[in-house]
Amino acid sequence: MKNMAARQEAVSVYTKKVGKVRNKKYLHAIPIIAFFVLWEVITRLNINFSIVNPVFFPPPSLIFLNGVELFHSGLIIDSIVSSTIRIVIGFAIGVLLGVIAALLIGRVEKIEFWFMPVFNMIGPIPALALLPLFIIWFGIGEIPKIILIAWTTFFPVMTNTIDGIKSVHSSYIRSALSLGANDRQIFKKIIIPSTLPNIFTGCQISLGLAFSALVVSEMMGAKSGLGYIIVDARNYMKILNMYVAIILIGIEYSLFSLLLKVIEKKLLKWRTGGFENAVEK
Amino acid sequence: MTLIVENVKKFYNDHLVLKGINLTVQPHEFICVLGSSGGGKSTLLNLIAGFIKPDEGVIKVNGSFVTKPSKERGVVFQDHALYPWFTVLENIAFGPIVQGMPKKKALEKALRYIELIGLSDYANHYPEQLSGGMKQRVGIARALAGEPEILLMDEPFGALDMFTRENMRTELIRIWKEVKPTIIFITHDLAEAVYLADRVIVMKNGMIATELEIHLPRPRNYRDPEFSILMENLEEHFVS
Repeated sequence: MKNMAARQEAVSVYTKKVGKVRNKKYLHAIPIIAFFVLWEVITRLNINFSIVNPVFFPPPSLIFLNGVELFHSGLIIDSIVSSTIRIVIGFAIGVLLGVIAALLIGRVEKIEFWFMPVFNMIGPIPALALLPLFIIWFGIGEIPKIILIAWTTFFPVMTNTIDGIKSVHSSYIRSALSLGANDRQIFKKIIIPSTLPNIFTGCQISLGLAFSALVVSEMMGAKSGLGYIIVDARNYMKILNMYVAIILIGIEYSLFSLLLKVIEKKLLKWRTGGFENAVEK
Repeated sequence: MTLIVENVKKFYNDHLVLKGINLTVQPHEFICVLGSSGGGKSTLLNLIAGFIKPDEGVIKVNGSFVTKPSKERGVVFQDHALYPWFTVLENIAFGPIVQGMPKKKALEKALRYIELIGLSDYANHYPEQLSGGMKQRVGIARALAGEPEILLMDEPFGALDMFTRENMRTELIRIWKEVKPTIIFITHDLAEAVYLADRVIVMKNGMIATELEIHLPRPRNYRDPEFSILMENLEEHFVS
């Protein structure tokens, strides 16, 4: 009996907690809604009083209607598709090469000796400074854009992964050796999983940079994409289009970042730590 | 399995931390190496494990030289060094798997060792979800599942509270009686050494100060007058 009661109590405590968390997530929407309402009110007032040119500061409702219109014209879908393809391919190549380079550098001393100083020299150059050069070399097609995105992605992923490899607990490696693991097994079962959190940190940093690279490369010599909508809107004073594109870029970036976090949580479910687990609220 | 340490010296930054150690360990023997911190105990253990190399002298196991870590010498670490990305079961199965056992068989074997340490209910937990004592038991099971001939334990209970520590000592003796590996156990706790060991090696300033065989029957009792006499005997080496 006592046991049952205890269990029931445990269940009710649990559900209470879940309820609280749900409430909190729901609450996150309120500041966002407030932001848009405020924006709407201020811009509507501005339309009446013309404190600044109302064309430059449209209310969100008009932007939304314009977005619906653009959606029906097919422009939005086309732009999102071409931007997404670029970012996915470029980002994937960058992450893959970054991780591979880091693993090789972490494993083979000769490679570290020859490549690290070169990477350290090239790495700090802002990738966007290289875009015109890439366009001259590779034309204005997809290739320079993808290379630029991959390039920006590569460095943070590589440096973070190397950091992770170098900070693997030596007692993990020692215990693996004492259990009879060979180098390859240690790499696969110890070094890579313990470096995974660093790889994800690198990916998150890179994602932001990769989106900047995407937008800028679409502003210079592209015929499609969200960045292209922005320059096109500037050239033809279609301010509403510009807002639509800006918002869509924000949304797309958030979705990608969320996707990364979901994958990270799935792969690193063994990880506990941080404030969330330090103190119960 | 016979372990022989022959005139081993080790320097750290021109400082001689082991000044010629000679030690022979018989099969199935339970050795405690006792000493204060900085006495060279851990250095000796790391040398036997093959993590570091002697500057002079040799270490032999069954007649062959120790040059690198090997599965014949399992290690239990003070910080347990469990892999946080593996479950308890996967941690214990790690040794058999890397030694080439098919995964299914390795997991079955790991289950047997989980039973040995009494944590069957926690097989699918991650190490982070366990208490300190439980983690250390998993550490012992993981080392044993690799089927070492000699188990090297580096102050494994040093980070545990008093009550857990005493439980762990009893547990360790039970496990040792069942599996009978040779054990070299590092500690700075006099009572622990007298409770556990067949033979206590006292280390001081990088040398073996004395050795003491303990013939008390197991399970040993801390309140036994003979136990106290043995402790006093050992204590004298630290007072002077």
